[in-house]
Amino acid sequence: MPETRRLLPALHTRSEPVSRERLTERGFDRAMERMLSMQPEDIIAEVKASGIKGRGGAAFPTGIKWAGVHAAAGGTRYVVMNADESELGTFKDRVLLEQDPLGALVGVLIAAHAVRARKAYCYIRGEYREVEQRLAAALTILAECGWVGPDAVDVEIRRGAGAYIAGEETALLNSIEGKRAEPRVKPPFPTNHGLWGAPTLIQNVETMANVAVLFAHDVQWFKECGTPETPGTKLIGLSGYVRHPGVYEVPFGYPMTNIIHDEDLGGGLSGSERLRAILLGGAAGTFMAPEEVEASLLDYGSLSRYGASIGSGALMVFDDTVDLTWVLKKLARFFADESCGQCVPCRIGTRRILELLDQEGLKTRAEDLRELALAMRDASICGLGQTAPVALLSILDRPERQGA
Amino acid sequence: METDKNAVAERVSRLMETVPKDRGQLLPALWRVFEEYQRIGPEMIEAVSNAMNIPYAEVFGVASFYALFDNAAGHRPIYVCTDVLCALKGSEDLLAVGEDAAQGAAVALKESPCLGHCDGAPAMFDGHRTVRNATRASLMAMIRGESHA
Ligand SMILES: Cc1cc2nc3c(=O)[nH]c(=O)nc-3n(C[C@H](O)[C@H](O)[C@H](O)COP(=O)(O)O)c2cc1C
Ligand code: SF4
Ligand code: FES
Repeated sequence: MPETRRLLPALHTRSEPVSRERLTERGFDRAMERMLSMQPEDIIAEVKASGIKGRGGAAFPTGIKWAGVHAAAGGTRYVVMNADESELGTFKDRVLLEQDPLGALVGVLIAAHAVRARKAYCYIRGEYREVEQRLAAALTILAECGWVGPDAVDVEIRRGAGAYIAGEETALLNSIEGKRAEPRVKPPFPTNHGLWGAPTLIQNVETMANVAVLFAHDVQWFKECGTPETPGTKLIGLSGYVRHPGVYEVPFGYPMTNIIHDEDLGGGLSGSERLRAILLGGAAGTFMAPEEVEASLLDYGSLSRYGASIGSGALMVFDDTVDLTWVLKKLARFFADESCGQCVPCRIGTRRILELLDQEGLKTRAEDLRELALAMRDASICGLGQTAPVALLSILDRPERQGA
Repeated sequence: METDKNAVAERVSRLMETVPKDRGQLLPALWRVFEEYQRIGPEMIEAVSNAMNIPYAEVFGVASFYALFDNAAGHRPIYVCTDVLCALKGSEDLLAVGEDAAQGAAVALKESPCLGHCDGAPAMFDGHRTVRNATRASLMAMIRGESHA
């Protein structure tokens, strides 16, 4: 199947990514005009009706989040676009911002109008300097249209400085406030108590881009793709042992194995051409065996049968020369390095997992590892500590995957 | 040393002139200092603290939190991604080769977690530009400071 390009511009798109013509060619000027003629309540109703779920990992229904911020008390509100993208195997927001930066920004403006925010931040990882420049150029275009600026919505780009944890939404708020990017205890949630205590809407880049294409069309069009449970498309970052690594846009419900094998998508396995496993969702993702990949569709329900989730859309393919224990050690080191150290279960737990794996404890200390994982899941403040052992657990649950 | 410190204080306060003096601008302020010096040393932290009117310990706490500011010698940084996908494409060997070549050059060769270019592994980043599908030749060029590595 050819790619379904909605969030990514069609291959025959003629206009430059950062141009007035692009706004017209992609229907984003129409989206802006339509949105500006609507009441916030109606904008939110449309986002709810579209069934868009957050694309940053947690898949929370976007319209419900917007309604929460809209209903929250307080005069000042903020919108934040999360472009921190530092999850292993994840590069879809980069590609999206390279190919169509105006889309995600139009999404930000629609969000700002819906929750009555006058100020928005785009938080982008400090390693994406080229993308940041493109984003700045796109903002200039939107300012020329009168949609961005002190009299409309003020949009500020905020550059991160190398911290995976800053992508966690409350850590990101602290980073913008000029504090250490350490997560806050939830509740209160950012929807009620975000930047400087004001109601704040935080969405992933891809979520914002979905909103823009929704308003360039309508709910019916939006739902023509995907499944009844999860309408729309998903950007998949395909990497590892495939012939054509890259970002591909596929409708929800598409067979997982086709993403790897279709000629217009991954193009098939490379390396030994024998699949050992995929790692789906990032460093805190799930390893899936070949027969599980074969039996799954790209949707939350289908994947949950194997304890897996789409996460950020990272799909890492490992052939049978890859030692998954080696991968686990890499992941463990990553989490130990990136834990902010604020809470004990995560600070100690991530170190301890690394030690146990270095002592080849995957086979001999499996029960200790499981106990540790449960303690981290239950007692860590944020998603990093809670999910750091997920990939490890998925291997413990699939003992036949361990061998090198 | 004293004059150095004064010079830094003066230069930093000039850099801060167009930065609004509120706490929310601390990260952009630190970026300005870093772009100027390629490092954020104690004398710069003190100068930022004075210019922004934020306690030294707070500025230090924030500056030391972020990996990209961790560059004590102020040499030009080169990050080679040694995370899973790049390591599978030989980035650890690349790093080892680079380490030999970097001896004596005013660069700081570092390992980096995923740079978000796994479809162009191995990836490297010099603080401004990313090089995808890195090779020995492109790493050497980056170490030598050639712009079209
Ligand atoms: C450790 C950690 C890192 C995260 N990094 C990112 C990130 O880089 N980008 C992102 O959009 N969401 C990231 N998230 C998820 C955010 O906390 C948040 O759920 C998301 O930005 C909400 O947007 P969405 O509803 O549009 O997905 C991260 C979460 C955790 C726990
Ligand atoms: S779980 Fe880990 S990363 Fe999250 S707040 Fe606690 S120590 Fe920090
Ligand atoms: S693993 Fe190296 S760029 Fe992602």
